[in-house]
Amino acid sequence: MKDELLLKVDNLSVRFAVKRGGGWRKKSYLYAVDDVSFEVERGKTLAIVGESGSGKTTTALAVARLVPAFQGSVDLEGEDFLTLEGDKLRQARAKVQFIFQDPYSSLNPRLRAEAIVREPLDSLGLAEVDEKRAIVDRLFKAVGLRPEQQRLFPHQFSGGQRQRIGIARALATQPELIICDEPVSALDVAVQAQILNLLRRLQEEFSLTYLFISHDLGVVQHMCDSIAVMYMGKIVEQADRLSLFNNPLHPYTVALLSAVPSVDKKRRKATRRVLIPGDPPDPVDPPAGCRFANRCPVAQPRCSESEPPLRDVKGGHRVACHLVDESAKSPMS
Amino acid sequence: MTALLKVENLRIELTTRDGVAPVIDDLSFEMNAGETMSFVGESGCGKSMTALGIMGLLPEKVGRVASGTILFDGEDLTRVSDARMREIRGNDISMIFQEPMTSLNPVYTVGEQIAEVLRRHQGLGQRAAWEKAIALLDAVRIPNPRSRVADYPHQMSGGQRQRVMIAIALACEPKILIADEPTTALDVTVQAQIFDLLRDLGRETGTAIILITHDMGAVAEMAERMIVMYAGRKAEEGPVDQVINHPRHPYTKGLISCVPHLMANLSEERPELTEVGGIVPGLREFGRDACLFASRCDMVNDKCRNARPPEVAFKGNQASACWFAEKV
Repeated sequence: MKDELLLKVDNLSVRFAVKRGGGWRKKSYLYAVDDVSFEVERGKTLAIVGESGSGKTTTALAVARLVPAFQGSVDLEGEDFLTLEGDKLRQARAKVQFIFQDPYSSLNPRLRAEAIVREPLDSLGLAEVDEKRAIVDRLFKAVGLRPEQQRLFPHQFSGGQRQRIGIARALATQPELIICDEPVSALDVAVQAQILNLLRRLQEEFSLTYLFISHDLGVVQHMCDSIAVMYMGKIVEQADRLSLFNNPLHPYTVALLSAVPSVDKKRRKATRRVLIPGDPPDPVDPPAGCRFANRCPVAQPRCSESEPPLRDVKGGHRVACHLVDESAKSPMS
Repeated sequence: MTALLKVENLRIELTTRDGVAPVIDDLSFEMNAGETMSFVGESGCGKSMTALGIMGLLPEKVGRVASGTILFDGEDLTRVSDARMREIRGNDISMIFQEPMTSLNPVYTVGEQIAEVLRRHQGLGQRAAWEKAIALLDAVRIPNPRSRVADYPHQMSGGQRQRVMIAIALACEPKILIADEPTTALDVTVQAQIFDLLRDLGRETGTAIILITHDMGAVAEMAERMIVMYAGRKAEEGPVDQVINHPRHPYTKGLISCVPHLMANLSEERPELTEVGGIVPGLREFGRDACLFASRCDMVNDKCRNARPPEVAFKGNQASACWFAEKV
């Protein structure tokens, strides 16, 4: 079982048509996800981090086939999930489930909790009626809700409890891969811990694989086994948890990590805050070279001339920066 | 030195369908000029209500100051006339909010919105106010202020809008700036820029800052003193480093340890996060003569359920409202 690949995403791109200036001008495209590749091993968690507009949620949606991909493939247990149709697609959909960010808008207010959790079974035609009842019972127990709460409506639950319902729904089809899109960012801090602990317990229990989308680096550091950092639709750095947090290489990753306020005095003293000025450039018309070049504190002329490829610099630590060489030292240090 | 702001036994009541609830219950604190103080807690604990109470912006007909005083420079803000309060607001005390998009007027340029404050409060003429608006945009580090001053809010990014809000709030060089979750809607690199800006401006102008947040990391970076609020009451107060290293209230302890923080050196092991079970009690519970944290506390006993704990003082100006503060 170990080290077996569950998900392999190759050269995935998602583009949206945007109108500029109106009139008869040519349509232009915004590449929200631009040639992104990554792999996730079974039972592991890959986190995708980045700021708003970096394409992390669109990547997740494309992997789950909730937005159409423009290019690329999503290989799930040896099948290309993006080209499946009909019954095959339905079977594959059961393997990929989604936990959404906002537990207030992602539950149908007119359905009782039990019906919400049962819905994936209904729509994918996965179980008999009396079987379903038992499954829902088990799921409620697994996520820490009481059996009598099955009859309640979403508005009768707190935010944390609603997220538990969302998690139970995602578990209903016995999926292999669960995509968690900012699963705790809408919750109060004290409730976040409850949900994060639950997600880790469930991962153990059902040997789940997570694709974990978040902007909160503290949460990511706690949850993931490996991390991909996205900036303007591209992965700029990818590594396992310890390498990325203890030895970040890309200047953007360094800046991102240094921006996180911390209660740890040692860390505050050790990290020099790197302020990156300004905002990301226009995503419809990205710059020619490295997309981070115009904000990068150590940029050189060649950075705005050619785009750095994502390459392995040291034992699986991949980075897209001209200034990182085989010694795997960050140009920022 | 007398305190710039002195709040004593403040009680703010909200009228709800279930009756009157004290959303701020017997709150006292002091703040000196130039100081940065932080209010921390979960939603519904009274952080923002405290701010609105000081600003005289409690929801009309629903909320009111029931008792207590808010002394600002010797003047009791709970008793001043509406006209005087309008003078103070914006001039001496100003506020920035969480969502910079909804707090700016979409149909006026940012220059007009900054200039309006200056014309109203400082009696500047059109031209002078406009020039000062440009200078302020420059001060909050917006590039090309002379051309950006004529932009509408939608033409700016979230971070830039929050900078405009800060420019408006600081236009009259207030003595106190209340920042209510100023960076919650922003990305972390932008948050770092805004914190940096607030720190520098606070230092330059001597403005005292009240930072309302739920992020302990932000408190640690920005503030000198902090107050932890729970269910409308002050749970704990003290110097930031001291409180974070030695919390004396189980709620403070929970708030710190339930969040996975980035640490100096990450190791292989990942302990379970400490959970603070349950949620903040509903308004109906507020004001009861008991510790309102009792239902979520693992140190609870009968005393906690039957009497409100008094504030216990510790060395170094730390205080905690817990029956077992010494044992925490």
